Amino acid sequence: MQIHESNEPGWSAPARWSALARGVATLAILVYLAAVVVPPLAGPPPASELANRLLQPLRPLVGAIYLGHGYRFFAPNPGPGHSLRWTMTMADGSTRGGSIPDEDADRPRLLYHRRFMVSEKIATLVPFADAPADIRDRAKRDWQPLVKGVATNLLRREGGTSVTLEVVEHYLPDPGEVLASTTTTDTVTPLGSYAWASEEGR
Amino acid sequence: MNSPRMPHDDRLPAGGRRPAAVPRSWCSDWCAGWNDFWFTPADPLPLDLIRIATGLLLTWSCVVWLLDADAFFGDRGWLRPDQVWRMNDQPWQWSWYFAAHSPTMIRVLGGIALVAAVLLTIGLATPLAAIVSLLGLVSAANRAPLNVFGLDDTLGMLLIPLVIGPAGSRLSVDRLISGAEQGRAGGRSVRANVALRLLQVHLCVVYFFSGTGKLFGASWWEGTALWGAIANDRYRTLDLRGLAGHPLVVNALTLATLWWEVSYPALVWPRLTRRLCLAMAVAVHLGIGLAMGMMEFGLAMLAANLAFVPADTFRTLLRFLPRRWSVSDTLPGTSPDLS
Repeated sequence: MQIHESNEPGWSAPARWSALARGVATLAILVYLAAVVVPPLAGPPPASELANRLLQPLRPLVGAIYLGHGYRFFAPNPGPGHSLRWTMTMADGSTRGGSIPDEDADRPRLLYHRRFMVSEKIATLVPFADAPADIRDRAKRDWQPLVKGVATNLLRREGGTSVTLEVVEHYLPDPGEVLASTTTTDTVTPLGSYAWASEEGR
Repeated sequence: MNSPRMPHDDRLPAGGRRPAAVPRSWCSDWCAGWNDFWFTPADPLPLDLIRIATGLLLTWSCVVWLLDADAFFGDRGWLRPDQVWRMNDQPWQWSWYFAAHSPTMIRVLGGIALVAAVLLTIGLATPLAAIVSLLGLVSAANRAPLNVFGLDDTLGMLLIPLVIGPAGSRLSVDRLISGAEQGRAGGRSVRANVALRLLQVHLCVVYFFSGTGKLFGASWWEGTALWGAIANDRYRTLDLRGLAGHPLVVNALTLATLWWEVSYPALVWPRLTRRLCLAMAVAVHLGIGLAMGMMEFGLAMLAANLAFVPADTFRTLLRFLPRRWSVSDTLPGTSPDLS
């Protein structure tokens, strides 16, 4: 480390911290670094019991300043993309449909990504339609409250009476299929139909 | 120029003779190294540039939140308030939007976050703007966990050092108002060093976990992972499917990305390899931005990488600015251990 002094008039050396200030700052730095390092150690799975125990006392800090991230971008493998397809019945009996996200309507691109995350995050909770019944039933308890929120938001926005949702997993073609221009099929999993609860009104 | 003696300074003193060696313990060496690393006063110029880049990205993010505020933060939005616990760690992940139940209140709070981000960008009332910007980001991310992604994680990582350090000491309205001649405001400071060090270390943690997480995936070892990104039509903004006929190119791009990310926490510190690491960061993050439509995320990661660029480099690049912006009235070679 090289520090050069200035000969400029009026310049004085920068203040250094006292030993006490450095000690207090050191403690604060160590706690902060723990709050940075422990959350990605504790999740997503696989993660150790030790990391999860270390995380417990840090949860207030980690939550308060939004540090609870795993940082597993495109890991372990980049997977297929997902969207939520919806079909809505309107008050006059007509139907309309759409997709979340909607590449044509969701502009700017950051808005598209924020809506895209809805389908990506819900899709991680939904097993395929041909999964064993007990797995599907258990998973439904996790994803259905979230899908109800999506349905509520769509009904509010579009002014419909009921909406049917399904999650679409867009097939990820391999290079050979792209070169051969092979037509591929997406996987569709139904998420159910939703209407305004009577107490919610419109 | 004179050179003050620093801990662990191996240069000979002016007389050419070393004083009698004082034996030091391993613990003392650790303490001295820790003090050097964290508490050596540093030039805040990189922090000021990071503030401007972060402020611009945050301003844009706030605008986009407001474009569909009821859906993101409203009681009948994507995620009802009573269901947020399913997606994050309640009650710790607080949000000021939990107290907002009307469209007007939601817009007022979103507007406060937007104004704070604008003030942060121009450097007006910077310390307060940085704190409110962080509160706004955390509130949005914690209320709308279904809608957040890497951009929000990165903006959080950037904002915390801006709260800690003197982020408005240069290139700011605050500086113009106070005047460049006002004492040492804008000069080297320990706070600037702590803030930049925190960002540097945090960035290394991000790359470490992102890189090692990829080591679980067969496609990264096989060199085909990038094809997974290229072929994913939900992300695609630049059609690179022509690479289907060039598997070795895909292999090379995949492996280069993987090993750059895994090795970044080690190779970004030595001067010999730092430029290579940063050049690769530019290529990877701009590539993600252009090809996968996540330009804001790519730019936020590049803003974080600015913490590893020496202040002298910025000073050279910004030498055309008038002196009142106070880019050149400081001392050379004072970035944290990045001379």
